[in-house]
Amino acid sequence: MQRFVREPLVHFLLLALLVFGAYGLVSRREPATATIDVTQAKIEQLAGLFAKTWQRPPTAQELKGLIDDYVKEDIYVREALRLGLDTDDEVIRKRLRMKMEFVSDAEAEATPPTDIQLQAYMDAHPEAFRKPPQIAFEQVYINPDKHSPDASAAATALLEPLRKDASYAATAGDPSLLPPSLPLTDQQGIAQIFGDDFVAAIITLAPGEWEGPVSSAVGLHLVKVTDRAPGILPALGDIRPAVEREWMNDHRNAVEQQRFDDLLKRYKVTVEPISADGSPPP
Amino acid sequence: MKYTFMLTTALASCVCAHIAFAQGTENDEGITAANVAAVIKPEYSPYAGRSYPTRPLFGDTHLHTAVSVDAGTLNRVGQEDAYRFARGEEVLSTGGLRAKLARPLDFLVISDHAEMYGLMPQLLAGDPEILSTEKGRQWYASLTSGNFDTIFATAMEIVGSLSGDVPPIKSEKAVRNAWQAYTALADKYNEPGRFTAMIGFEWTAIGGYNLHRNVLFRGDASVADQTVPFSQFDSKNPEDLWSYMAEFETRTGSEVLAIPHNGNLSNGRMFTVETFHGKPLTRELAAKRIQYEPLVEVTQIKGDGESHPYLSPNDEFAGYETWDRSNLNGTEIKTKDMLKYEYAREALKTGLKLEASLGVNPYKFGFVGSTDSHTSLSTSEEDNFFGKHSGVEPEPHRWEHVVIQAPNPEFNIYGWQQAASGLAVVWATENTREAIFDAMKRKETYATTGTRMTVRFFGGYDFTSEDADTRMPATAGYQKGVPMGGDLPKVPAGKAPTFLVAAMKDPIGANLDRIQIVKGWRDAGGETHEKVYDVTWSDGRVQGAGGKLPAVGNTVDVARATWKNTIGDPELITVWSDPEFDPKQAAFYYAKVIEIPTPRWTAYDALRFNIKMTDNVPMTTQERAYTSPIWYTP
Repeated sequence: MQRFVREPLVHFLLLALLVFGAYGLVSRREPATATIDVTQAKIEQLAGLFAKTWQRPPTAQELKGLIDDYVKEDIYVREALRLGLDTDDEVIRKRLRMKMEFVSDAEAEATPPTDIQLQAYMDAHPEAFRKPPQIAFEQVYINPDKHSPDASAAATALLEPLRKDASYAATAGDPSLLPPSLPLTDQQGIAQIFGDDFVAAIITLAPGEWEGPVSSAVGLHLVKVTDRAPGILPALGDIRPAVEREWMNDHRNAVEQQRFDDLLKRYKVTVEPISADGSPPP
Repeated sequence: MKYTFMLTTALASCVCAHIAFAQGTENDEGITAANVAAVIKPEYSPYAGRSYPTRPLFGDTHLHTAVSVDAGTLNRVGQEDAYRFARGEEVLSTGGLRAKLARPLDFLVISDHAEMYGLMPQLLAGDPEILSTEKGRQWYASLTSGNFDTIFATAMEIVGSLSGDVPPIKSEKAVRNAWQAYTALADKYNEPGRFTAMIGFEWTAIGGYNLHRNVLFRGDASVADQTVPFSQFDSKNPEDLWSYMAEFETRTGSEVLAIPHNGNLSNGRMFTVETFHGKPLTRELAAKRIQYEPLVEVTQIKGDGESHPYLSPNDEFAGYETWDRSNLNGTEIKTKDMLKYEYAREALKTGLKLEASLGVNPYKFGFVGSTDSHTSLSTSEEDNFFGKHSGVEPEPHRWEHVVIQAPNPEFNIYGWQQAASGLAVVWATENTREAIFDAMKRKETYATTGTRMTVRFFGGYDFTSEDADTRMPATAGYQKGVPMGGDLPKVPAGKAPTFLVAAMKDPIGANLDRIQIVKGWRDAGGETHEKVYDVTWSDGRVQGAGGKLPAVGNTVDVARATWKNTIGDPELITVWSDPEFDPKQAAFYYAKVIEIPTPRWTAYDALRFNIKMTDNVPMTTQERAYTSPIWYTP
């Protein structure tokens, strides 16, 4: 590294950079006559890109076309910069914003949370960590197509036999891919299989007896709720990784917000009035 | 705007595609008819002792985030938000829209590109490991210069470098850091029983011809950390990828599998009868391929690869969201003779042929679908589709934007051509990495184009129509046969294969039109054939002349992007016996389930953005599922 610093070529390059940089600053404002040097390296790069796409090198004429196009592009780009067209470009703006966020994230993740912080977080957000209430049940399916016009009556007719004979459930009803019973499962899990309407209907059912019919996305069901588990809030020790994961996620957002708020203070932002319906004024 | 386009298209051309292959060993482990039968002894309770899978798990095995070099130039949503989104939480898309799934996924594989793994975020964060490389320093300086043309040119250079021979930035330590950060994150979000974050990456060889594979790990971070992603800079030859996988398995005692995708964009290279270097395929390589590639991703955003109308002229449902103009980046026109080496159904037939000559079937694969989305958002539903990459996230004009730009504009791929597809569905015994991996190995999987329908498919010799009338068809299925992905045992004299097939609609989706069984076979002369049977259908329709089933109808209101379930059936089930079975002919059978017509994602865009698209843009679709095949071998 030290040798590198003493290297005359490095000094030369640094000097050159300074000169060109200064020139660039001036030229950005005042582009009288600028130079575009299409170097050998640039030409090779253009030819290489072409070859990558077409699996062959360009012909002399194609290469000339590539170079002409490059020059045109370079001039346009320089002019665009001079006109400040880069300032309203979405891609560039997003890229720069993303880098600011990266910096913030790295800062947020530098210190892991303590148990005290996590416990406080849990206390503040109990719903995020509560194990949802669960329901276990058996069900017998009645296919409306097979019992038209009154599938509901057909279903109701099965209620008494089901209540009288526990083993009848194994054969009652119509064939279906739906599971005949589910172990303790939360509402979301039940809804994924039976749909939301079914869940809404069985929540209110008294346990221990065949009830119904209730409807689902595919038809009618007689349902016997066999077990219920209330939602519980586990201890921190049992779910620490999940709490830390959620804490960190919030923390990261908070740090970013803080950084942004600090930056915001350095700006005076004026927004022109907008109309009541949110559309820009005429 | 032009710049956005160019960048977008450059990205897309490097963004990948896939499809795939088959699997290998003769006997599947885990759940077989025999060991299921063993546990289903007569009991008082018919539910006691059941150990077979009772609920399908829906997931995506193919998702890219900002960590992928190509996606990373536009996408600013990272791996963590990708997990949160898949688990059902709301996140912000790169375009700043609030995004949320209707229902969480059961599992997700974030499969970022192996090539310069994690380079983008590390580069942009000014990571010292990256900055210690010459290219890293140069790119960082360019990307942080604030100079328009410098940034843009650098982004282009980074994307282009993905298909080069040498990685522009070679920092094993940086890749290792990014990989281990990813595996740790996967462990953090992996929650057995609720959500599986399976570890994986994408090997992205031969960019334009898409020989890409996703590599999936059975183990956790401590296992996956014993390697780093195998990239196309290590080798562009899939045979070397299998060697890498073999070495990893031997060294760690764990398992990995690879899933190819987008054979439809390989221009005749995905399912050939030759080695990578054009030599005749050997028994050894065929065995290796099917050992490490038990599944193929047959449907995704860049087109569906189950079947093609040219190869299956007698199948009215052949071809779905078909992309068949050129290879992936549009540098080579596709000719008809290439198709037979691209589509899964034909590859299954090719496999039967190769089995006759090699003694091993390299294409004995099962099916999954996935998205290959580069937005970090796994969206495959028509009414909630966030597009292929962050350049085509929802906005009024995305349907007419270029997704993949070709040197010849004729081969450009436009926004409206994207398919809102698909899902990988797995019949696993529980929602864990191990159970899902094992189900994939035994091919007990199916693909859907984004819908969450439930599909069962069993083959045996003794199924009768009563089995379709029992309370629990799956019990009969496992007792008397093999599930999807399995092999029929030796045929008893005078019998023909029978199949128990059943499907249930997505609880919030459309009714079903029909179930088909697709049969492919090899005749005595070594030629292969296929036939598609409608085996059960909705609404009591009657087959017309030549056995043709009338169309199910159409209830779609395109202007309002709605439909009614007044046609079709919520469930279909039947037992079907092969009427043309010849015990001397090797064959495969798989089920294809088709929904009634529903609005395509373009109809939702037209409604929500109040725009009119051109007449060539399809506004309705019939979503479908494809099960892994069941094979019969004489």
